[in-house]
Amino acid sequence: MREVTATVLENVRIAEGVYSLTFAAEELPVNAGQFCMVGVNGFPLRRPIAICKSEGERYTVCYRVQGAGTKRLSQTYKPGEALSVLLPLGNGFSLEEGQRRVAVVGGGVGVFPLVAAIRQFAEEKQIYAYMGFRSRSSVCMEYDLRRGEKLVLATDDGSVGYHGTAVQAFMEDIEKVQPDAVLACGPTPMLRALKSATEGRGIPVYASLEERMGCGVGACLVCVCEKKDGTHARVCKDGPVFELGEVKL
Amino acid sequence: MSDLRVNLCGVELKNPVIPASGTFGFGREFNELFDISLLGAVATKGLTLLPRAGNPVPRIAESHGVILNAVGLQNPGVESFLENDLAWLRGKTRVIANVAGSTVSDYEKICARLDGKVDFLELNISCPNVKCGGMAFGVRPESIAEVTAAAKKNCPHTPLIVKLSPNVESIASNARAAEEAGADGISLVNTFTGLAIDIERRRPVLANNTGGVSGAGIKPIAVRMVYEAAKAVKIPVVGMGGITCAEDAIEFLMAGATAVQVGTQSFSDTHACLRILEGIDAWCDAHGVEKVSSLTGTLKCN
Repeated sequence: MREVTATVLENVRIAEGVYSLTFAAEELPVNAGQFCMVGVNGFPLRRPIAICKSEGERYTVCYRVQGAGTKRLSQTYKPGEALSVLLPLGNGFSLEEGQRRVAVVGGGVGVFPLVAAIRQFAEEKQIYAYMGFRSRSSVCMEYDLRRGEKLVLATDDGSVGYHGTAVQAFMEDIEKVQPDAVLACGPTPMLRALKSATEGRGIPVYASLEERMGCGVGACLVCVCEKKDGTHARVCKDGPVFELGEVKL
Repeated sequence: MSDLRVNLCGVELKNPVIPASGTFGFGREFNELFDISLLGAVATKGLTLLPRAGNPVPRIAESHGVILNAVGLQNPGVESFLENDLAWLRGKTRVIANVAGSTVSDYEKICARLDGKVDFLELNISCPNVKCGGMAFGVRPESIAEVTAAAKKNCPHTPLIVKLSPNVESIASNARAAEEAGADGISLVNTFTGLAIDIERRRPVLANNTGGVSGAGIKPIAVRMVYEAAKAVKIPVVGMGGITCAEDAIEFLMAGATAVQVGTQSFSDTHACLRILEGIDAWCDAHGVEKVSSLTGTLKCN
């Protein structure tokens, strides 16, 4: 991990309330599921955002405008601006050799780290993707999501694709797909639904968790999640990817 | 290059910049980003006799110029620190072991366990985020004196720095109480108790409801309290509270601090401690200050 002063190349709206920020920084090896902490001038905390794509010195992250910090990020960081970034952080997704058929289940901004996972694993694994969005206007990055064997879009209002959640869409397919592993990211209710739906099937689910963070490097113990044994793990350093069976949601 | 060395309670630090307890773990994570042996010392995450899981999440919130935290002293316990971290950290720089407890007896035991093994003990009697102990000891002069005297009896070989809470009536009286009870130094300020509300949910942002406020916004209050405390005692003072740059650190030195701690700034600016250190050096050079220690307590009030 490094603290770098990056240069903004592009910062554009790609869906309702969602922006894609591309910046140039020193080339570093990035594993899908790793994230970065992006500084926003005037705010005492950096924003943790999953890395969506990294190609050489070009990095792309996508974020939803949620509060004052991300609003400032979307409005004032134009191409050419300097951006303080800490990256790459956390462990990211990893698959064993025998895990060949892989379902990827995501919702909301949870789609973006999974874009990185699909890009990383699509060559050597069979990827079945189930991606949930609010409606047609929030669907984005479809091109990258289509790199696997199959993509099912799910929308809450049925305006495009499956009418329902990504988890429901996945569960309708699970017998057919017979996945060896599941990669997931999304809001906690989605992960809870996925956990209970897959329990007892012996399929490991590797989920990237979200939590409010302080330092981003594992020192301040702010962003913890509870493990099965009652101890706390650091989402930023020990995660953000955990096997869902290992953590309490 | 000015002489950056400072003498803190009879122990020499190579410079006066110290990452503050709770923001830097035991130094291992930040050492992946820069060489922490460049720092004057490291104040460890608050240690307790037994491991502590800490509070539920969310543990952090943000407001204008400040953050609130309510970690609740999550730590692996003093034995784990001794076994896994101390030797490594001592190989890097001076170690300030921050210690906390729920009872006077806890403080006695943990001080005894660490006596002679660390460079300093920092008595945390000012944590606002735990239900018993913590700040309860740090509010009134009588309880400060009691816990300080008990702790000092158990660490005769290690300088004892008492970390004071700002959530008090008179910081000068509390500083004097620590000094009279045998403290070798004091450090301040710990965080101010605050509350951040999520107005959509009509609930506090933090799971713990209240949290400790830190960051740039508290600096003028912290400088004033360091000034008042330093005037009240003869023992060295470690100043902290909202330091973001070298100029901030120099304010604390002029107000009476021998060394400074940097906390929240490391979150948005990972290399903050090093940048502040370099900035202090450059400022001293530019102002013909040969020894940084000569700045301590030089403020002349109007």
